[in-house]
Amino acid sequence: MSQRTERRGIHVDQSDLLCKKGCGYYGNAAWQGLCSKCWREEYQRVRQKQIQDDWALAEKLQREEEAAYASSHGAQTQSHTQSTAPQTHPGHTSLGPFSKFEEKKTNEKTRKVTTVKKFFSPSSRTAPKKETQEVRTTSPSLSRHASFETDQVSKDFVDFLKNLQKPGREIHKQCRAFIVNMSGKKDLGADELSECVQDFYQSMADRLMSHYKGSSESVEQVMDQVEKYIMTRLYKSVFCPETTDDEKKDLATQKRIRALHWVTIQMLCVSMDEEIPEVSENVVKAITDIIEMDSKRVPRDKLGCITRCSKHIFSAIRITKNEPASADDFLPALIYIVLKANPPRLQSNIQYITRFCNPSRLMTGEDGYYFTNLCCAAAFIEKLDAQSLNLSPEEFERYMSGQASPRINSSDADWPGAGQTPDVVATNPVLAQLNHNLELLSSLNSRQETVMEAAQSLQADLLSWPQAVKREVQEILEKYPLQILPRTVSAIDANNMDNENLPPPLTPQVFAG
Amino acid sequence: MAAGGTGGKTYSFKVVLLGEGCVGKTSLVLRYCENKFNDKHITTLQASFLTKKLNITGKRVNLAIWDTAGQERFHALGPIYYRDSNGAILVYDITDEDSFQKVKNWVKELRKMLGNEICLCIVGNKIDLDKDRHVSVEEAESYAESVGAKHYHTSAKLNKGIEELFLDLCKRMMETAQADERLKGNGASQSASSRRGVQIVDDEPQATPAGGCCSSG
Repeated sequence: MSQRTERRGIHVDQSDLLCKKGCGYYGNAAWQGLCSKCWREEYQRVRQKQIQDDWALAEKLQREEEAAYASSHGAQTQSHTQSTAPQTHPGHTSLGPFSKFEEKKTNEKTRKVTTVKKFFSPSSRTAPKKETQEVRTTSPSLSRHASFETDQVSKDFVDFLKNLQKPGREIHKQCRAFIVNMSGKKDLGADELSECVQDFYQSMADRLMSHYKGSSESVEQVMDQVEKYIMTRLYKSVFCPETTDDEKKDLATQKRIRALHWVTIQMLCVSMDEEIPEVSENVVKAITDIIEMDSKRVPRDKLGCITRCSKHIFSAIRITKNEPASADDFLPALIYIVLKANPPRLQSNIQYITRFCNPSRLMTGEDGYYFTNLCCAAAFIEKLDAQSLNLSPEEFERYMSGQASPRINSSDADWPGAGQTPDVVATNPVLAQLNHNLELLSSLNSRQETVMEAAQSLQADLLSWPQAVKREVQEILEKYPLQILPRTVSAIDANNMDNENLPPPLTPQVFAG
Repeated sequence: MAAGGTGGKTYSFKVVLLGEGCVGKTSLVLRYCENKFNDKHITTLQASFLTKKLNITGKRVNLAIWDTAGQERFHALGPIYYRDSNGAILVYDITDEDSFQKVKNWVKELRKMLGNEICLCIVGNKIDLDKDRHVSVEEAESYAESVGAKHYHTSAKLNKGIEELFLDLCKRMMETAQADERLKGNGASQSASSRRGVQIVDDEPQATPAGGCCSSG
C-alpha cells in the first residue's frame, strides 16, 4: 500500500519537476515551472516588451507635454525656440551621449535588480500589483484630483526650467525619463525604490554641480524643484507601498498613541504652561502643523510642516521659561505634541521622508534636526514604559488597561476623547478657557440683571417722584391753606407811633455866602 | 560615511552635543554661538540646533551643532541623534562624578556605533567651581587618552576654553574629511554611501556608483 502511493507520488512529481516547455531539463516552481534556460528566455521576452511599452509611454508623454508647453506659450515662444534652436543644438549634442548613457545604465541596472528579485520571490510580486490597479480604477475622482495636482506641478516645473534655458530642457528630459523608468519598477521593494531615487538625486546634483561650477545655492534651488516634480509624480506609487509593512506600523502607532491618552504634561516633565493663553495657542498651532504633514506630497514640504511645528513648540517654551529652549526641553514637548495630535500615518511619513528626501537636507540642515527629533519621539512612544514616565509598573498597567486614570491637580484625564465619565473636570486648556469664559459670562449676566433692576426701580422712582411731590404739595397746601386776608390800605405812616418822636423834617436852608 | 560635503571648498560638519541634564550643554553652545551667558537678551528662540560659520586656514566650514536630550529616559534614542555625525562633544560637570560616568557610557556607545570616524571631545565644564571639583584632572585626561578622545576644560560662565574647543574639533574633523577624500581619490571605494562630494567631469561618464552595490545585495 505504502509502496504504491509512494510510486504514484514519484510519478506525479516527475512530470511536475520537468520543464513545462518540454526541453527535458528540470523545471522549478519559482520560475513558473520552467527550467532556468527557458525561464530566462521567457522572462527576457516579457521584459523586452515591457521596455518597449515604457518607451512608447515615454514618447507619448513627451509629445503631450511638448504640445502643452507649445500651446501654453503660444507663437511667441515657438518663434523663440526656432530662433534659438541652432544655438541649443551643439550644447545638446555634447550632453546627449551622456544622457543616453545614463538612461541605458539605469535600464541595465533595473533589469539586473528585477531579475534578481524575480528569481527569489516571483509569485508574491504579482498579486499586490493587480491590487493597485484595481484600487486605481475604483477611485476615479481621487485619481482625477491627483492628476490635476500633478499637472499643476508639471507646469510649475516647466516654468521654472524655462528660466534655465538650455540645461533646463536637459533636466526636464532626464526627470521625465526617470519617472517613466520608475513606473516600470512598481513591484520593487521600498529600499530599492529609495536607492533608485537617491541615485538619481546624486547624479543630478553632480551634473548640476559641474554645470554651475560649484555654486551650491543654484544647485540646491534646482534640486528642490527636481525633488518637487518627481516626488509629486511618484508619490502614489512609492508612499506606503504594499511591499512594506508601513501600513501595519502606522496602525500600531496610532493604536499605541490612543492607548496612551492618559499621559499628562506633568508626567513628561514638559516645560510648557498651557494656562498661558499664548502658550496654548502655540500648542494648538504645533498640533495643526504636525497633522498637516500627511497632506503634503513632497518630502521637503513634509519637512516644512515638522519645522513649523517645532518653531511653535520653541515659542511656547520660550514664553513659559523665558529662555531659549534646549533639547532637554524640546524633545519632551515634541513627544507631548505627537501624543496629543496622533498624526495620521506617522510611520509611513517618516519612512517616506527618509527614503525619498534629498539627503543633503536631511543630514545637516535645521529641517534634518527637527526630523530626527520626530523620529526620536516616535521611537520613544513606541518603547514607552512605566520607567520613562516615572511611574510604578502597576500604575502604568492600570492606566494602560483603562482601570484608572491619573488624577493630578484634582483633575481627570487630559483628553476630551477620554471623557466617557461625565463628571470629568477637564484640565484641557481649551475646556478650562471655555469654563472660565462661561463663568465670566454668567457673572456678567447677573450683573446686568442687577443693573436692570436698579434701572427699573429708578424708572419707578422717577414716575412716582412727581406724584409724591404733588401729594406733598397738596398736603402742605391743605395743612396751611392759603388765606387771603382783606388788605387795609392805609397811609404808610399810619401805624407808626414813633412818628411823633421824630425830629421835624429838615428844611432847606439857604446860606448866603 | 557622510563626511562633510566638499562642494567647492566648503565643509559641512555635524556635531552632536551629549551630556547629562544640567552639565551646561546649552550654556556652552550659547556662549559659543551668541557669546552670552544666562542673559535675558539672548535672541535665538532655541538653543537645540545652532549653526556657526567658520573660516579655518582659508577653508569655509559650516558647523551644525545638534543638542541632544540628556535625560536618562531618552538615553536609548542616542543612536538616532548621532548617526552620520562628524564630531561629538561629551560634556560633564567637574563637580558631578555621575555626569562623568555618563560620558564614559556614551563614549563606549559612540565607538561601537560609529567606530573611529567620529572625533570625540570630552569636556569638563564649570571650572569656575574648581573648589568643588569631584572629577580629578588626571583621571579625566588619562581616560580621554585611553579612548582616543581629546580632553578640554571649559567654563561657559567665564568664557574659558570654549573657542579653543570648537576650533580644535573643526581642525580635527577637517583632517578626517581630507583623509577620507584621499582614500576616495585613490578610486578604491566608490560605494553608494559616498553621496555628495564626488566631482564629476562633464564629458566623462562617471563610473556607476550604485550598480555594483545593488547587484551585490
